[in-house]
Amino acid sequence: MRTTTAALALCLLTGCVSQPVKKDLSAFIATAPRSILVVPTVNKSLDVDAPNYVLSTLPVPLAEKGYYVFPVHTTKHVLEHEGYYEGDRIHQMPPEQLAQMFDADAILYVTINRWDAQYMILATQVTVEFDYRVVGRDGTELWKENKRMVYAPQNNNSGGSPLAGLIAAAISAAVTRAAPNYLPLTQQANNEVFYGPQAFPDGPYKVRQAGK
Amino acid sequence: MRRAISALCAVILSGCATVPRQYEWGGYETLLFAAYKDPSKVEALTVGLENQVNVLDQRKGKVAPGLYAELGTLYLQAGATDKAIAMYVRERDTWPESRGLMTALIQNLERGQAEGKSK
Repeated sequence: MRTTTAALALCLLTGCVSQPVKKDLSAFIATAPRSILVVPTVNKSLDVDAPNYVLSTLPVPLAEKGYYVFPVHTTKHVLEHEGYYEGDRIHQMPPEQLAQMFDADAILYVTINRWDAQYMILATQVTVEFDYRVVGRDGTELWKENKRMVYAPQNNNSGGSPLAGLIAAAISAAVTRAAPNYLPLTQQANNEVFYGPQAFPDGPYKVRQAGK
Repeated sequence: MRRAISALCAVILSGCATVPRQYEWGGYETLLFAAYKDPSKVEALTVGLENQVNVLDQRKGKVAPGLYAELGTLYLQAGATDKAIAMYVRERDTWPESRGLMTALIQNLERGQAEGKSK
């Protein structure tokens, strides 16, 4: 009985991890945005494809959180039509002007700080790092977060021969090198910032599940 | 007893780990990503969104925020202005938050069409 109780306690503890320090969300809560405009990202990495990739991962988690998310491809199209092609220029525009142009309650700005793969002989380490910032239609900053995710393939080869372990590691590194797995890492980063303990509250369309 | 606890554990763990989706996206994220990576995949994105809209229409389900408008913009970029306007209208009528932008886009396109006809 004692072991089962201990197992239950352990299970409850590991089920949800909470962090003690909470963000000040009073400005966000006071603004209570219903809609979020996700503008093209600023790219500080060397990968020219990164901005569009990151942009494509942002609408789903935000809409699932209960917000009306302005369609990112349409937003990009409209901004290009107005002569704004670069994320840098868009991020420098007054937020009030952007919000008015789209009739948005809030704007999400994402900056890509890192998006790279470090190649080693037997392992390839992929790193992404983003700054996220939500600003209200009057220009007030409502929330911000930074997230870095690192993916390094685990080559634990328990019980096998050392040679088999080396071969497995080499294959794993080659696979990662051929196609660095940026997308799942980016999705994981988004999920942690939008659904983690430091996230902003859910939006008006969030469907509450029974019992919650 | 032990079985009951392990079942409870499974429920608790799955409750925290997975976020069940409230919309069907029809592969939007992956298709959009693919279209940005390779412009020849834009057609696949258009077809994917059309299918998703059709499936939800038949079931009278709610299309996820932005999908009508994205399809509209893809039509617009392919030169099909009438189809684009129809999708922007659906986005506007489904999501009140989109009204300002959609109305501006529709009026802009209709003005362009009127000017084209008067020439």
